[in-house]
Amino acid sequence: MTTTTQFKVLEQNHPRVDAYEKVTGRAAYASDVYLPGMLACKLLPSERNHARIVSIDTGAAAALPGVRAVVTGTDFPDVRFGSGALRDRYVMPREVVNFVGEPIAAVAADDEATAQEAIELIKVEYEDIPSVVNPLAAMVDGAASVHPDLESYEGYGFTLGHNVSTLLDADRGDVEQAFRDADVVVEDVYRSQGINQGFLEPMACVADVEPSGRLVIYASTQGPYQIRAGLAAVLEMPVSRIRIVPMELGGGFGAKLRLAFEAFPALLAMRTGRPVKLVNTREEVFTMNGPRLPVTNYVRSGVMNDGTIVAREAYTIFDVGAYLGAGPNSGIGHGIGAYRIPNFRLRSYGVYTNKIYVGSYRASGVADMTFAVESHMDHIAHEIGMDPYDLRLHNALREGDVSVSGAVVPSNGLIETLEAIKETMEWPRQLEDGHGLGLALCEWRSGSGPSTAAISINDDGTVSLLTGSTDISGSDTSLAAIAAEALGIPMSSVIVAKRDTDMAPYTGQSGGSRVVYSQGTAVQRAAEDTVQKLMALAAERLGVPEDALGCEDGRVYVMDNEPQGLTFVQLAAASITSRGGPIIGTAALSSMPYTPVFAAQAAEVKVDRDTGQIKLLRYVQAQDVGVAINPMAVEGQLDGGVVQGIGRALTEDQQFDPDNGAVRNPSFASYLMPLAIDLPEIEDVLIRVPAEDGPFGARAVAEPPGFGPPAAIANAVYDAVGVRVKQLPLSGERVLAALNGEYDDIPFDVEALRLAEGII
Amino acid sequence: MKQPLTLKINGENRLLLVEPFYSLLDCLRDEARLTGSKKGCDEGDCGACTVLLDGKPVTSCLVLAHSAHDAEITTIEGLADVDGLSPVQKAFVEHGGLQCGFCIPGLIMSATGFLQANPEPTEEDVRFAIGGNLCRCTGYNRVVEAIMAAAAEMRESA
Repeated sequence: MTTTTQFKVLEQNHPRVDAYEKVTGRAAYASDVYLPGMLACKLLPSERNHARIVSIDTGAAAALPGVRAVVTGTDFPDVRFGSGALRDRYVMPREVVNFVGEPIAAVAADDEATAQEAIELIKVEYEDIPSVVNPLAAMVDGAASVHPDLESYEGYGFTLGHNVSTLLDADRGDVEQAFRDADVVVEDVYRSQGINQGFLEPMACVADVEPSGRLVIYASTQGPYQIRAGLAAVLEMPVSRIRIVPMELGGGFGAKLRLAFEAFPALLAMRTGRPVKLVNTREEVFTMNGPRLPVTNYVRSGVMNDGTIVAREAYTIFDVGAYLGAGPNSGIGHGIGAYRIPNFRLRSYGVYTNKIYVGSYRASGVADMTFAVESHMDHIAHEIGMDPYDLRLHNALREGDVSVSGAVVPSNGLIETLEAIKETMEWPRQLEDGHGLGLALCEWRSGSGPSTAAISINDDGTVSLLTGSTDISGSDTSLAAIAAEALGIPMSSVIVAKRDTDMAPYTGQSGGSRVVYSQGTAVQRAAEDTVQKLMALAAERLGVPEDALGCEDGRVYVMDNEPQGLTFVQLAAASITSRGGPIIGTAALSSMPYTPVFAAQAAEVKVDRDTGQIKLLRYVQAQDVGVAINPMAVEGQLDGGVVQGIGRALTEDQQFDPDNGAVRNPSFASYLMPLAIDLPEIEDVLIRVPAEDGPFGARAVAEPPGFGPPAAIANAVYDAVGVRVKQLPLSGERVLAALNGEYDDIPFDVEALRLAEGII
Repeated sequence: MKQPLTLKINGENRLLLVEPFYSLLDCLRDEARLTGSKKGCDEGDCGACTVLLDGKPVTSCLVLAHSAHDAEITTIEGLADVDGLSPVQKAFVEHGGLQCGFCIPGLIMSATGFLQANPEPTEEDVRFAIGGNLCRCTGYNRVVEAIMAAAAEMRESA
């Protein structure tokens, strides 16, 4: 724990810098962009999940009055792109469709209704190709191939098994020997459902072509530079011919990290010379843009009678759908959880199927793996007759241990989060019949990646802060607070510039709990650079050495003689004619050291034995945030994350047709996200063990809260009524079936996987 | 074909050209260019398009524009005046009841309509009142806190 009195700006609640715009309806999102002469774009979805496009007849659509252009896959350059190294996807299919809903034509018309009418006039002749929807079936030799030419794709790496896009592995120690030495071996298979990111603002963008021929995209994005790179690739244009203007982001949670549908209005704008707007319907969001797909996790542990876990084996079968839309990571790196396990074998198979491609969502895959690992921990505890809390405490990672990646674990607040939960939830506690308590530990690392910042001093002593990262959940406000703290000025003296890819320096995406930790460090360093330049100028003007100067409250002063000094206003004026010119401080970095984030969570539930319905009575989380840059915003992140996790635990379930893979519930009426009435007040405990790196000791915040609820609630259900449900969501129907002794069959042939790898 | 329609929006009569099939939401956004009301689903499921029709919250995506010709329509743009934000807007700012902000105009309109009819709500009342408004970012904690604070503030200044 640390004292927080040393801060003048941090550790205090600040309203968001954009709050006024957002509560008055003035904040402009991509769909709020209206340009003169703007056309509307609509898309034609594929009706088949694996078929050759024999022909597309767009004649009638193009002839409809008000239609300005129609494009199909062959109008785009013949290049594949990807979300990572593997380039497995055309921006619009040229010959073969791979999922129901895949856009295969785009229309630009005077208005949306005309564009939609034109879409319905397009005639497509398909020739079906054998398809596969279930990833376990897809891995079997002889199953239909989603990508028959996969091995020829750029970026393809070694894998094992049919239809496998990617294989990730991590190993340490002598796993087989450790299992032989263990007193008890516990084995489980867990399955998580498909999950939609559920952002409220549909995918939207406006494309415009400037008279010079440069393409401008008004985008809803977490990654403007990544969209620019993606567009440049699929349109075969240099990035310098593209400008991305990120508008206010109406929620993304990973779904808006990369190129989505921007190429369609872009090409239509280039064809027509007019601005083109594309706004997805909610159904299109559900059926065209990648969600998380079902994941099966096999977990086996070797445990000693005193609770020490000596070995772990985990296999993930991760459905990637038609394309690897979210990179290969499935959360397998979290297969040992927040624990010191000396011997492990971790494997993750990304398997292609003919359904919508997988997208990113708030630490993709880690929530699935946490459900498995943290349910499994309780299973172990019950097998050896140990309290689940004590088992976690006994095995928890400590400073100096080695993380999965091999990095040494620095000081952290993991134990403190556990202790805080024990105290707040009064664990263990005798409860009435049908009530139960459950725990989960969550583990993540502060996100890294290229970060840049520039700070300039204005005439009135305020500063303008320029970064390339788009605001995500209040990150602009946090960056302003970091700048204010480092410069010794109030929050109100920091202006966060609205920016685009022409004016701001390159930066990584706003995602993965990266912005405040990494981008915030760049801002802190840019502020320090600014202070140093102000001090150098003041030293010159005051005729004293720099090391005799201090900087506080918007003023540089002589430490031995405080009245002698110059304010930022005076220094800004002086800089105009100084040798160095106007003051501008900058910083850039490419990566940050491993800084873990830990959280402990607990649920209290009541289970209705007649219906299987779970009533969530309390939910408590304790997270090590290092230092709370803006406590109100930190708690907002924790609350929102946990509630997304509660949805994942109880109600959210993206369902797919078993025959053609089509999304079966593409609406908010059928895909059930939590409402205010479904929830208790979420209780937050902030633990503050400052990070060794990161701005003023702050750690990342946003990802871990969502990991814990599925396991914490499943463990509480076990505590309440003695059934262990291993398939999400924990619906009343499923819990009731379990109470009647019926459980989901979750097939998993681990022997076949071991055999394929030569492990016997 | 577009037909003329006069709507009373935020106290002003606006003459607009509107297709017969336009929803009030499309009319507000595309024709009146009041883009504060958001289209999150266009199916009445998310509440981001909530406006007040004669003081009552409605999802404007489910109201035909032409059917609103006799009503007093209040949108998010009509809440603040030259003296500043409404008590509900102010409370959302101060209590951090917003993140991405896309659902916020709808939430604020639901809360505004609700508090006019129910000045002394319990927390549970508030959770029910915003039961038609989806928010994916906040987890609702601070939204509920803001609405409760606004209710208290409005009672004090009444």
